[in-house]
Amino acid sequence: MKLYAYFVSDDPGVRVPESVTGVGGSSVRLMKAEDLLVGVSESDDAPVAITRDNVVAHERVIRSVFEHTTPLPFRFGNIVGEGQLRSYLHSHQEALQTRLLLLRGRVEMSVKVIWQASNSVNAETEAVPVATASYLDQTKGGAGAAFLMAKRREFLGDKMLADKATEITSWLKERLGSSICTESVSVRPRDKLVVAAAHLVARTSLGRYRGELNKARAERPELHFLCSGPWPPYSFANIDLEFKTHFGVS
Amino acid sequence: MTSPFESVMADADLEGLEESDLSLLETLDHVLNSGLVIAGEITISVADIDLIFVGLNVLVSSVEKAHEVLRDRERRSDDNR
Repeated sequence: MKLYAYFVSDDPGVRVPESVTGVGGSSVRLMKAEDLLVGVSESDDAPVAITRDNVVAHERVIRSVFEHTTPLPFRFGNIVGEGQLRSYLHSHQEALQTRLLLLRGRVEMSVKVIWQASNSVNAETEAVPVATASYLDQTKGGAGAAFLMAKRREFLGDKMLADKATEITSWLKERLGSSICTESVSVRPRDKLVVAAAHLVARTSLGRYRGELNKARAERPELHFLCSGPWPPYSFANIDLEFKTHFGVS
Repeated sequence: MTSPFESVMADADLEGLEESDLSLLETLDHVLNSGLVIAGEITISVADIDLIFVGLNVLVSSVEKAHEVLRDRERRSDDNR
């Protein structure tokens, strides 16, 4: 029998209500190790299926604790033996406690900014002619020229998106900086630019943060926003730099 | 403290989307993409294919869809005037 892990907390008053069930309808208990408490439920060794019910159950357990305190939330799908879990907690105790201290009294707010890049990127890249057969014929260009021109267009588009991402990120930080403790930003440039920011905000500053965010959104009607929260601090929880994910098929 | 299930805020152009869909997308984005990992390994299966968008592709598609719905709605309301 293995354990499915939901969260780590250093708050001795942490409780999971009995009415809250975990993944697969399992009951959740607290396991004490070192000075830490870990929310776990019994699990077999099989991979956890990503279903709506399982994902919501994972989040529900963490949220039941998060209402009162800020735990370190585990990512969906952590299944380990009890010995392995105890060993992990023992060897990472200092890092976990440092992270819990950083997160105490704070929550994660999520802001995704979507920018319709098409018009401006097209204007920039259209300065580079498309390497049609007739164009190459007129200019005596060959396959190599066509390749380089296509690369040039691609490069200009990518650069434009990267510049825009930097500008949006700086602007957002400037507008919200006074109410956030720290942030984690990722940029996902595709056809449209998506800047995904996670902000760590003190519970006591949520009102101010929301006010500043609403003002910022009103300033930039060309950007589309998806804002949500408060979340348990998923984006600030991991103490390891790398991990592997194993995908099973069921 | 409110739940993000009740507090997803999208701008006006996203009003065409069901809030529960946005909440689920956001939940998946958080729960599957971040969080503490023990011993560097996670074991999950991909049985429920309908949820395996895992990322922003669906979100961006949803935004596009929402824009279409909104534009149609505006067009219809202009026609009725």
